Amino acid sequence: MSDRIDTFRRLTTGALAALALGIGAAQAQETGTPDDARLINPGFLTVGTSDPVYPPWMLNDSPESGEGFENALVYALAEEMGFAREQVQWVRLTFEQIIAPGDKPFDFAINQVSVTPARAEVVGFSQVYYQSDKAVIALPGSPVIGAASFADLRGARWGAAIGTTDLAYLENVLGATDVAVYDDQVGVFQAMQAGQIDATVAALPTALFATAVQIPEASIVAILPPDAGDSGHGLLFQHGNPLIEWVDAALGRLIEAGTVQEMVTTWLVADPTLPIISE
Amino acid sequence: MIPEQPTTPPPPPKRRGFDWRTALVPGLIGGGSIVVVFGVLGWLVATNDNWPRIRAQFFNPDHMLAALPRVAWGFLTNMQVWLIAMACIGVWALVLAVVRSLRGAWFAPFRLMVMLYIDIFRGLPALLLVILFGFGIPALRIPGLPNSGLFWGGVAMVLCYSAYVCEIYRSGIDSVHEGQRAAARALGLSEWQIMVYAILPQALRNVLPSLMNIIVALQKDVALLSVIGVRDAVREAQIYTANTFNYSSLVVAAGLFLLATIPMARLADWVTARDRARRLQQAG
Repeated sequence: MSDRIDTFRRLTTGALAALALGIGAAQAQETGTPDDARLINPGFLTVGTSDPVYPPWMLNDSPESGEGFENALVYALAEEMGFAREQVQWVRLTFEQIIAPGDKPFDFAINQVSVTPARAEVVGFSQVYYQSDKAVIALPGSPVIGAASFADLRGARWGAAIGTTDLAYLENVLGATDVAVYDDQVGVFQAMQAGQIDATVAALPTALFATAVQIPEASIVAILPPDAGDSGHGLLFQHGNPLIEWVDAALGRLIEAGTVQEMVTTWLVADPTLPIISE
Repeated sequence: MIPEQPTTPPPPPKRRGFDWRTALVPGLIGGGSIVVVFGVLGWLVATNDNWPRIRAQFFNPDHMLAALPRVAWGFLTNMQVWLIAMACIGVWALVLAVVRSLRGAWFAPFRLMVMLYIDIFRGLPALLLVILFGFGIPALRIPGLPNSGLFWGGVAMVLCYSAYVCEIYRSGIDSVHEGQRAAARALGLSEWQIMVYAILPQALRNVLPSLMNIIVALQKDVALLSVIGVRDAVREAQIYTANTFNYSSLVVAAGLFLLATIPMARLADWVTARDRARRLQQAG
């Protein structure tokens, strides 16, 4: 009996050792290919995004369609890294789950996450793939309509959604005080319709979608320049993820080739006739 | 016939000397098990591979210090809403409870109204009420009514908690013995006078511990107002977390809540103990 257990043990130990060797060998050979053992699920590129996702970042709440700026970017990136289209797997999470500490269930997440130095202490970032202007959204009759300077805008009652850099923009760039903060963009628009706030700011593509679909009574009143302290959107990784270098290099090639810029013009076109307030 | 008395009295019970075993063993077992349980828990946490990262993200002193002013400022909002709501709830719930406990036939429609009120406001999640009141009523844009989220969120909390507190008051009113009512009526007091002079003073005293419990719960639930744009301690902490992805600000907020609720809990214990002592004294 005990002999048999010993044999069994020896066999399993041997098998495990062989397996470990095999993994080691695979790691040495296949770094930077779809079978890279450092991937969450080797053979697949696992990408996190929020649930729901909004146009124009991704259309129809369907990342798999590849229609929309961010999912088109992911599929282009996957191709650049050697993955087939079917090898891209999506994980749907909330923003809180994406930023939560602990092991992340994705290789990287794409969700218009702004890169800041403080955030980079606890998560990993790729290089910036898009930097958006900010747009002022307001309903007819709001005091911000016709504003010509930051000083005109400052006096209004502002609102913003948590987790966005819109709040930091309002407080640090515009100098607004007592900004009301809501759970999401929908809450901001509810407050606007309830007359509790006069205006909000959002990334220009978000604002274009919102004023076209979510709250058609509202309009974009003005365009504001990007925040110098906000580098723009980057891909989010677990802190110290060894994949960053590989993904980042592929992203760099796409940016250099002009592919990303092409996508910006395809999916995120702005109305050029909007007034711009820059100080 | 008187039974014969024993000639020698029974020996007195043997006096027990100081027994180290009975004095020390329970203490040793208690202390030892505390050390073992907390030691194992602490060891499990400290040896976890992710612990240094968790510590940096949740217990980072620099981030805690940086978040403290704004979180503390938000906590002032919590305190203000809590105190004002507490006063309003205390009065409004008492009105409801008294109306519900009035016995005249003429009061039937009012009793029914209070019953419906309690069914509705106790049956709905507080969060839902806060959203409905905070966004819904201002959106009606009724002239003359304030449209601040803080105001309507506070109203929602008062309406919701009054339903609970009304039931507590009522249980207190019901717990006063029927004889008290009869005695008061025998003295010629009216229905109102019976309630005010005979029933309520005893009822309130009986439910004081339960009320303290509700007050602590209310203090924490003020954080629900954050969903309608009120920047309370929790929301300020969340803002800090969203900006930096560091959770230490939430720990700061948790600390502030504990600073406020733990003294409340001890106060509630003390009130209960004093009340118990008073009753036992009366009974003896």
